[in-house]
Amino acid sequence: MTGRRAFLRGALATGATGVLAAGAAGAAAAPGAAAAPATPPYEGLHQPGVVQKPLRHTVLAAFDVVAESRAELTELMRTLTDRARILTAGGPPLEDGISGPPADSGVLGPVPPRRAGPLVTVGVGASLFDGRYGLASRRPSGLTSMKAFPNDDLDPKWCHGDLSLQLSADDEDTILHALRDIARHTRGAMQVRWRMSGFTSPPRPSGTPRNLMGFKDGTANPVGADVNRLIWIDDGGPLTGGTYVAVRLIRMLVEFWDRIGVTEQEQLIGRSRDTGAPLDGTNENDVPKYAQDPIGKLIPLTSHIRRANPRTPQTDGSRLLRRAFNYDNGTDPAGNLDMGLLFTCYQRDIHAQFETVQHRLKDEPLVDYITPFGGGYFLVLPGVRNAADHLGRALLG
Amino acid sequence: MARGLAYGKGATIAAILLVTTLATALAARQPLSRVAAGARVTVASAGCGRGWAPRASGPQELRLYNSGGQPAEAAVIVPATGAVVGEIDALGPDATRVLRLDLGPGAYALRCHLEGDDPVVGAPVRVRGSGRGGPEVVPVTSNDLYGPVRAYQKIVAKRLDTLVAKTGALRTAVRDGDRGAARDAWLPAHMAYERLGGAYGAFGDLGDAMNGTGPGATGFHRVEHGLWHDEAMTGLRGPADDLDRDARKLRGQWSDQRIDPLDLGLRAHEIMEDAERGVLTGQSDDGSGTDLATVSADLDGTRDVLSVLRPLLRTRDPGLNDLDAWLDRTDTVLRSHDHGGHWTSLDDLSPMDRQRVNGAVAGLLERLAPIAEICAPRRVS
Repeated sequence: MTGRRAFLRGALATGATGVLAAGAAGAAAAPGAAAAPATPPYEGLHQPGVVQKPLRHTVLAAFDVVAESRAELTELMRTLTDRARILTAGGPPLEDGISGPPADSGVLGPVPPRRAGPLVTVGVGASLFDGRYGLASRRPSGLTSMKAFPNDDLDPKWCHGDLSLQLSADDEDTILHALRDIARHTRGAMQVRWRMSGFTSPPRPSGTPRNLMGFKDGTANPVGADVNRLIWIDDGGPLTGGTYVAVRLIRMLVEFWDRIGVTEQEQLIGRSRDTGAPLDGTNENDVPKYAQDPIGKLIPLTSHIRRANPRTPQTDGSRLLRRAFNYDNGTDPAGNLDMGLLFTCYQRDIHAQFETVQHRLKDEPLVDYITPFGGGYFLVLPGVRNAADHLGRALLG
Repeated sequence: MARGLAYGKGATIAAILLVTTLATALAARQPLSRVAAGARVTVASAGCGRGWAPRASGPQELRLYNSGGQPAEAAVIVPATGAVVGEIDALGPDATRVLRLDLGPGAYALRCHLEGDDPVVGAPVRVRGSGRGGPEVVPVTSNDLYGPVRAYQKIVAKRLDTLVAKTGALRTAVRDGDRGAARDAWLPAHMAYERLGGAYGAFGDLGDAMNGTGPGATGFHRVEHGLWHDEAMTGLRGPADDLDRDARKLRGQWSDQRIDPLDLGLRAHEIMEDAERGVLTGQSDDGSGTDLATVSADLDGTRDVLSVLRPLLRTRDPGLNDLDAWLDRTDTVLRSHDHGGHWTSLDDLSPMDRQRVNGAVAGLLERLAPIAEICAPRRVS
């Protein structure tokens, strides 16, 4: 009965929780426990769930905050932090005897497995910085509301949000257990605005996972030092360790797609469907040689990969970390399957990166086969540094 | 869905037993790092608690084995106060079940209650160490609930008088053929009914006749449909007459009704559960757009239940103040959409206002949930 009401219960309780949870996280990081793939420690410079190899399942939910004051908002952020710590660590739930219903849903059995919890990643949207909580002057200049791009067909019900929550795990029950737990503890303070479940396919047969158009998706992501240079905010201010995420819900018109020839499909994308290799190459990781193909004889100038990343010095700064999950969401009124891409991408500057790429993609031929209908921009908050810290402490107070 | 809340079907006292407390756990506890697995502990009228060895504080499991020939219930209690730390309320003969506990330092004992026997308490077991342990709750007995049940019956009796006055006024307005007056009379009558808290079939067939929804509905929603769909007023006379007659019948039967003490605690959250499921979803609206008024009346009905349970909760539910704050908060959110008796419909709420209503009601429900557990009647001797 403790945590459930935590978000109105005062700092003392949450402080105590934090200290103990830190112990659990520390234990999780102990050497020798590296047998199975496990959740990384929760605390750190960055939140989990951004640069890690994508896990098999994810859910991305946007919330409207309905907390009635700034103090309640802070309490909400503390509660989110506490639940993230606890869910990440796993282990036995509280036993509340006859003082109330069970503290845990039981979805993961009587004792949720240790260190097998989800990656929990929390962001804030520009709307949180409107007049409601006196945060207008604190809105990071890079945090704006997602605009409607020329080829979009946005549904307001699927757009924006005050908070974003992404949960990722290799098992779907782990995610839904976490989503229920977090919703239960925060119900009076935030309400789901929209949510979408997605999955990462296994390699088919190897290399980068495929999307539902049948193409490998995410081959050209930055790695190593480029991640620090392009993705993480590092300005020494309250956002340091954070990053911006652009979320796009993109329906693929898969029936139409399946009715066009593979050559056309490949020209639209710019890669071989079978191997993922650029159309001028042999293997997935071959680098396209655009300079040798100035008129697009092999890789059309209008193809998706060439528009998105022309690989010139001038466009290097617009590269971003692409994390696309497949979604499957029922059937539309015409009887067509509603499936597509739960697209996310990370960068330190949405305008210079995602929006710039998006501008280059305007009217690309691929737009006939996709319908972007939702999404939003969020600042992925810096990581929770230590037991006394909580999500958004530096930014939101 | 039906959780056996029927009034008047004979009060079978909940077959349960044990008991509870005064949870001191105001500070948050943390999930435990490890669970100590235990040896088999005997549940029997002779030898209750045998096999329970003292151990360190913290999360632990007791493997309870019923060595008797009858079904049993068992609870771990604090002998000094009678507070219950954990219980298993169904343990078959020769069966073993695991009871998970979080024990702070102190003395505990197992209470065994085999069907047909009086409960017995085993030898105290001392737990050493540190930590706070899980909440302990002094059980509520059927006897404890006697007064609250009586008080609640009186409150509802008064509410029934109001209902009958309002359905009478509705009937008159319908007979006068005055659609505007009838619409104005419909809402107070319906709210008077909702304040009775007759959720989840509590009023049986009479409740269905008065407040059923969907095709074939009679009662309130039949009249509502006609009033807000320009049906001839003459065609509504019959339904309005029936509704008024049923209201009087409900009042007439009330003094003979017996309320199961178990129902009182359940009702504390089920009225609002019903509202969230059937009203906030818009399912019960038949034209009047008064769903928020309905939920507001349900909140009033919930307050009635809480008012009689309050003396029991004061020492048992550390979340009571928080609950009170949420009742007021939810009330305020709902009533902000009452414009002099004209309520904003769900469809006309802005998306953000809709989220605020949903959040307030859902937040309230989370805080109401413990009451049924705490107030379930348990046998202590």
